[in-house]
Amino acid sequence: MSADNGHVLRIEQLVAGYGDTPVIRGVDVEVPAGKLVVVVGPNGAGKSTLLKAILGLVNITGGEVMLDGRPITRSPLEDLARNGVGYVPQGDAVFDSMRVRENLEMGGYLLDKALRAERLEQALELFPDLRHKLKRYVGTMSGGERRMTAVARAMMLAPRVLLLDEPTAGLSAALTKMVLTEQARMLADRGTAVLLVEQKAHAALEQADWAYVLVQGEVAMSAPGREVLEDPDMGEVFLGGGSGLLADAEPAG
Amino acid sequence: MVYIGTDLIAAWGLNLEFGVTGIPNLAFIVFVACGAYTYAVLTVGPAAQFGGAETYIIGGHVPAFFAIVIAVIVSGLLGVLIGLTGLRRLRLDYQALTLLIISFVASGIVGADSNIFNGLDGMSLIPDPLQFVSSQSGRAWLYVGVVAAMCVFSVLLVRRFTGGPMGRALRAVRDDEEAAIAIGKSILGLRLLVQGIGAALAGLSGVLLVGFIGGWSPSAWQYVETLALLTALIVGGRGSNLGALIGTVLLLGAFLQGVQYLPTIGRPDLIFDLGWVVVGGLTIAFLFLRPQGILPERRPRYASGPQLDEPAAATTEPAAGSAGDDDRRARRQAALSAVVAAEARRDPAESYEDVLVVEGIARSFGGVHAVADATFTVPRGAIVGLIGPNGAGKSTALGIISGFITPESGRVTFAGRDVTGVPANRRARQGLVRTFQLTHEFSRLTLLENLLVAARRHRGETVLGALAGRRYWHAEERVNLERAHQLLELFSVSHQANKLAGTLSGGQKRMLELMRALMLDPKLLLLDEPMAGLSHAVSELVEQACLSLRDAGVAVLLVEHELAAVERLCSNVVVMAQGTVLIEGEMAALRRSKEVQEAYFVG
Amino acid sequence: MRLFIETIGFGIFSGSLISLGAVGFTVQFAISNVLNVAYGAFITLGAYFGYWLVNDAHLNFWLTVPIVAIAIGALSVAFNRLLPRPLLRRGASFVAILIGTVWAGITLQYTIVSIVGPSTFTYALGNGKTIDLWDFVLTNTQLIIIGGTALLMLGYHGLLTRTQLGQAMRATSVNPVVARSCGIRIDRITDVAWLISGMLCGATGVVLAGTVSTFDSTLGTTFLVYMIAAAVLGGIGQPYGAMIGGLVVGLTTQLTAAYLSPAYEDVAAFVILVVMLLAWPRGLFGSAAAAGRRLVG
Repeated sequence: MSADNGHVLRIEQLVAGYGDTPVIRGVDVEVPAGKLVVVVGPNGAGKSTLLKAILGLVNITGGEVMLDGRPITRSPLEDLARNGVGYVPQGDAVFDSMRVRENLEMGGYLLDKALRAERLEQALELFPDLRHKLKRYVGTMSGGERRMTAVARAMMLAPRVLLLDEPTAGLSAALTKMVLTEQARMLADRGTAVLLVEQKAHAALEQADWAYVLVQGEVAMSAPGREVLEDPDMGEVFLGGGSGLLADAEPAG
Repeated sequence: MVYIGTDLIAAWGLNLEFGVTGIPNLAFIVFVACGAYTYAVLTVGPAAQFGGAETYIIGGHVPAFFAIVIAVIVSGLLGVLIGLTGLRRLRLDYQALTLLIISFVASGIVGADSNIFNGLDGMSLIPDPLQFVSSQSGRAWLYVGVVAAMCVFSVLLVRRFTGGPMGRALRAVRDDEEAAIAIGKSILGLRLLVQGIGAALAGLSGVLLVGFIGGWSPSAWQYVETLALLTALIVGGRGSNLGALIGTVLLLGAFLQGVQYLPTIGRPDLIFDLGWVVVGGLTIAFLFLRPQGILPERRPRYASGPQLDEPAAATTEPAAGSAGDDDRRARRQAALSAVVAAEARRDPAESYEDVLVVEGIARSFGGVHAVADATFTVPRGAIVGLIGPNGAGKSTALGIISGFITPESGRVTFAGRDVTGVPANRRARQGLVRTFQLTHEFSRLTLLENLLVAARRHRGETVLGALAGRRYWHAEERVNLERAHQLLELFSVSHQANKLAGTLSGGQKRMLELMRALMLDPKLLLLDEPMAGLSHAVSELVEQACLSLRDAGVAVLLVEHELAAVERLCSNVVVMAQGTVLIEGEMAALRRSKEVQEAYFVG
Repeated sequence: MRLFIETIGFGIFSGSLISLGAVGFTVQFAISNVLNVAYGAFITLGAYFGYWLVNDAHLNFWLTVPIVAIAIGALSVAFNRLLPRPLLRRGASFVAILIGTVWAGITLQYTIVSIVGPSTFTYALGNGKTIDLWDFVLTNTQLIIIGGTALLMLGYHGLLTRTQLGQAMRATSVNPVVARSCGIRIDRITDVAWLISGMLCGATGVVLAGTVSTFDSTLGTTFLVYMIAAAVLGGIGQPYGAMIGGLVVGLTTQLTAAYLSPAYEDVAAFVILVVMLLAWPRGLFGSAAAAGRRLVG
């Protein structure tokens, strides 16, 4: 694909990891506007590390991260937030001891008052369930509501690209579906570029416009979500461990 | 000379606590004072003429020798007592703050009491323990001799604890508490022991000082005195007895005592006050520029290990085709089995069928059920896999089994005994050994020491054993050393043996976890993702180690995401999802199971 | 009965002073995770600076309070940039940082002694009128200070809950990574925390020195014990806990002094601290989540 036409986020030959051992070994990823791109792969494949590398939270030893064609490699997290990269970290990405409204207002910390009120209204339109819970402390809410608050918080800055790190971890099957369809999918449909890292591959692939399968820090497959889902080898990748795609895998049953 | 000597004794005591064991004892001077006061209170006669108190209420006139012994013991006991209250498992700087306040307040208490300690006026006319020597100068010289002898005695005593197996265990506690528990060390026991010895030495230092001066005032033991000692350690090199010596002589001897001989400028005491300013600046400079001190902690170097009978076990041999590969693999398997089986504990007399029985364990964190009613068993000498998607509760289950996490309900039975309430370190000593998913190494011990410290029931790790010295535990140490070297050889990391564990690569740390666990001679080994991030060749080694353990009758519970490996190794596989056991059976059958596929795929 | 009520009155006064200092100590810890023992020496420095302003520059006492507060606030920010922050960046342990701040405090204290000498000092202030209100016997100054402290605490509450800066401070304290991903520059928030901490510290120093009969260079270090006891009592890192903790420590120590012996004031604070650490290591107001982040590990 040529230039950066349409690609909000572009990662080229990224090598990154902790200390001296690379976990990500030369990965290319492209996230166009208005598309939901998912990264799936077995445990330990480096999915979360990939996100952290984009955000400058781990040691990058090679490659580039580009936002709208400008390099943002190794930028500090707060600068990325100012430049249109939204991030929802894994686990509890909320301020527990604060109310829902305060969480959202923090999300719009950089905005002036009028714009913040406007965005708050937009966020509540996206997540109407939160409207009646603005005064609740996030620490007292259920897992699904907390994830919703976290995503709504990240949307306050109207990011060009939103990075979601396993937003469904620890949620039941029904809630997982809700988070993926009513949050990730919907946000992409409304024009945000969404990069979703997900352990629950099946559910995520169903929603994905494009999918990258990460195995041992390298992209093993890159295709539309449906195609990955229907690929006969995929079951093997997940249930057969990291060596699943390689030739020496043992026949399954 | 006497001052330097008493400071040295105290510095070594503090080095044992802070440098080696990592106890941030900012109340150390309290124990010095405790020794001094105890001695003074016991020896001062009734109706001594010091100000305020007309008759002295205790007035023991206890003979000096007994007074010294009692003073040292009382200090030691106070150390243990304060250790019990102050050293709970809080963050270390929190402990330090608590101890600092104890130091503040202790001088307040004593200053406030006028009956026993004579308040802020302090004690005077304390008898010299060497009263029997008539000549004044002879007495002073003899005193120097006594203090010198006590110094030698102290350093020999401290070395028994800072060197050898005991020192290794203490440093392990300092470097990583969780891992120290996992290899069966009693954190509280070791800490209290050290606290007791350190405080006793502090007491001795106080007694010698007060006996020499003949008086004692509360202003002599402000908290800054502790910090001066601490600085001596930081400057000299914490963890090193010689470093403590250098730091003490340089800082306390040459400098703080030295300023007294400088000409007075301005008002009296100005030089002394400026002295503290310089010492403070010096400490901060060292924290920035050379945090390890002038003389960093020494890493014990052991001679390189004895070669195995079959050097082919090393991976240096070129892999010549698959036949050579198989051959190499077989030989390595044999070598591994020899190492493991040599120490494997067989209890033929014991009657249990399953080495581990887990019944209905449950635990939730913040309203989320991490493990909810999980039940499964591990038969003797079997390798059982525990798999499931992220967040299924595998690691929590492992934590409950090994005793690191307290279950809300349910029971864990190990080797026929209910261990649900048994602390984690005792479980490890009984042979229920775990490894960690995120590696926990003792970063300031060498790789080899990391293995040695795990050896069970080392004679040198008891108080008496440590006191008895090298000859008492030497033979055992040699056996352990040989074993450790064999393991290092088998895992092809012999060349790293004397490297600090903190500087190893991620994969090497992971192997360290496994080797350290093997040193404990487990009956049941809990492996938490031992192959994550390892190369193919090394993963194969881990697999071979599991097989050797099985052949030696040791059971393994394997949490692993490399399902191909799980299939090769495990007779039975337990699948967990959402905190409960979903299904169990053979891996090949599970692969076809719709439930498992959904658990992994849909989540 | 009269003694009791008098003691309560004085306890509230000393408690409000302790609260003032304890809130400063705890707010800085909540955000930067550093236990700053040099805080005691900052108080001493504030006291001497105030002494100079009142006795030598003949400034009004109430005017010196904000001046000293600002000066110590600036010092506090500079101190954080010079010592704890670089040490944290180098990956120094919390104990190393604590030792660093202890020594910084000692260095500062002895520098002060070297300059001003070891004698005691007294602010040149009149005693003011005594107000006798239903057995509460307090001076004008003391009443103003109680009122002023209450106002400052209200103001601080307003800052935390009503302003964006205060929200950002709370957010940084709860979850620094998410705060950063909101675009909050947490280094600046940390500076603000040290500034507030230093300002409260300076104010405490002047007011304390102005209301005791005499003081010397150990003023702040001694007072630090009360403040730490109050902060720990309230759950360290919890501003409202520190406020309540300050009052409790103030009342307890005054009651001890009145009914037992003035010499045991320190002991009372210490006993509170030990009982607290044994019974509720997280403090009265320390939530489980906060304790998880701050105390463990």
